[in-house]
Amino acid sequence: MVVLSAARWVRSRLSDRFWRVQEVLKYARHFRGRKNRCYALAVRSVRRAFVRSTKARREKKRFLRALWITRIEAASLEHGLKYPAFVSNLLKSQVELNRKVLADLAIYEPKTFKSLAALAQRRRQEGFLAALGDGKEPEGIFSRIVHHH
Amino acid sequence: RYVRQLQRLQLLFSPTAADARGAREFVEEAAQDFARQHPDVVLYVSPHSGPGPAPMLRAEYLNGTVRDELIASKTSEEILQLATKLANQSGLDIIRIRKPFHTDNPSVQGQWHPLTNKPSILTVQGPRLQPQ
Repeated sequence: MVVLSAARWVRSRLSDRFWRVQEVLKYARHFRGRKNRCYALAVRSVRRAFVRSTKARREKKRFLRALWITRIEAASLEHGLKYPAFVSNLLKSQVELNRKVLADLAIYEPKTFKSLAALAQRRRQEGFLAALGDGKEPEGIFSRIVHHH
Repeated sequence: RYVRQLQRLQLLFSPTAADARGAREFVEEAAQDFARQHPDVVLYVSPHSGPGPAPMLRAEYLNGTVRDELIASKTSEEILQLATKLANQSGLDIIRIRKPFHTDNPSVQGQWHPLTNKPSILTVQGPRLQPQ
C-alpha cells in the first residue's frame, strides 16, 4: 500500500551511514593528516585527488615522452651522437622506431642500440658527402633507400 | 585446449527465508540445466534450515581464489546470469592491471650497466700488466 509506506518513508532515518562514509574514506586512507580520518575533510581531498588524476593522464604522456627522450639522448651520447642527429638520421634511413622502443632497446639491448647508432652515424656522413662532396663519389648506400608512402 | 577455471559453485541458502526465493526458484528450475551445460563445474546445493546468513553463491577457482556473491532478493534469471559470469571468469584478482605486458626475460643481450660501453680494460682483471 503506497499510501502507508510513503508516510513511513518520510519519517525513516539513515541506517547505512557507516558504509556510505567508508566508500569515500577508503580512497583517502593513504593521505596525510586529518583528511585520512575525518569525513568532511576527506570528501574535499578525495574529490580533488580524482580531478587531478583525470587531468594527469594527459600530462603522463608528455612526461613519459620526455623521459624516453632523455634516455635516448644519454645512450646516443655514449656512442658519440647527439639526440637530434640520431633521430633524424634514423628516420631518413626509414627506421621508424618510436621513442618508447628506442629507450627500451637502449636499456635492455645495448648492442642493438649500438648498431642503430652506427647506422645513424653512417647515414649522417653520407648526407654530408651528398651535400658537400658534389659529384665524383657514388651516392651512399643508406641514402638510396626507396621511401614508399 | 580450454580449461575452465571455475572449480565449484556452492549455493548456500535457507529454504524458508524470504530473500532466498530467487535462489529456491533457481534450484528448482535452472540449476540442473546449468550443471548440464557446464560439465566441468561442480555445483553444490546446500540449504541450511532456520534463520542463517544471507543467501550466497560461492565460487572457487583453480588458483584458490574464493568469490562470494550475494543473491538475496534476486530473480532466478539474474542468478543464472551471475552463475554464467562466474563460470566464464578466471580466478585472478579484479584490480587494475598496471601494464598490459610482462616478461620474465626482458633482456636478451644483457641489461645495460655503466660499464657496457666503456673499454674493457676497466673491467677485465688479467695478469698484472707489464709497464711498457
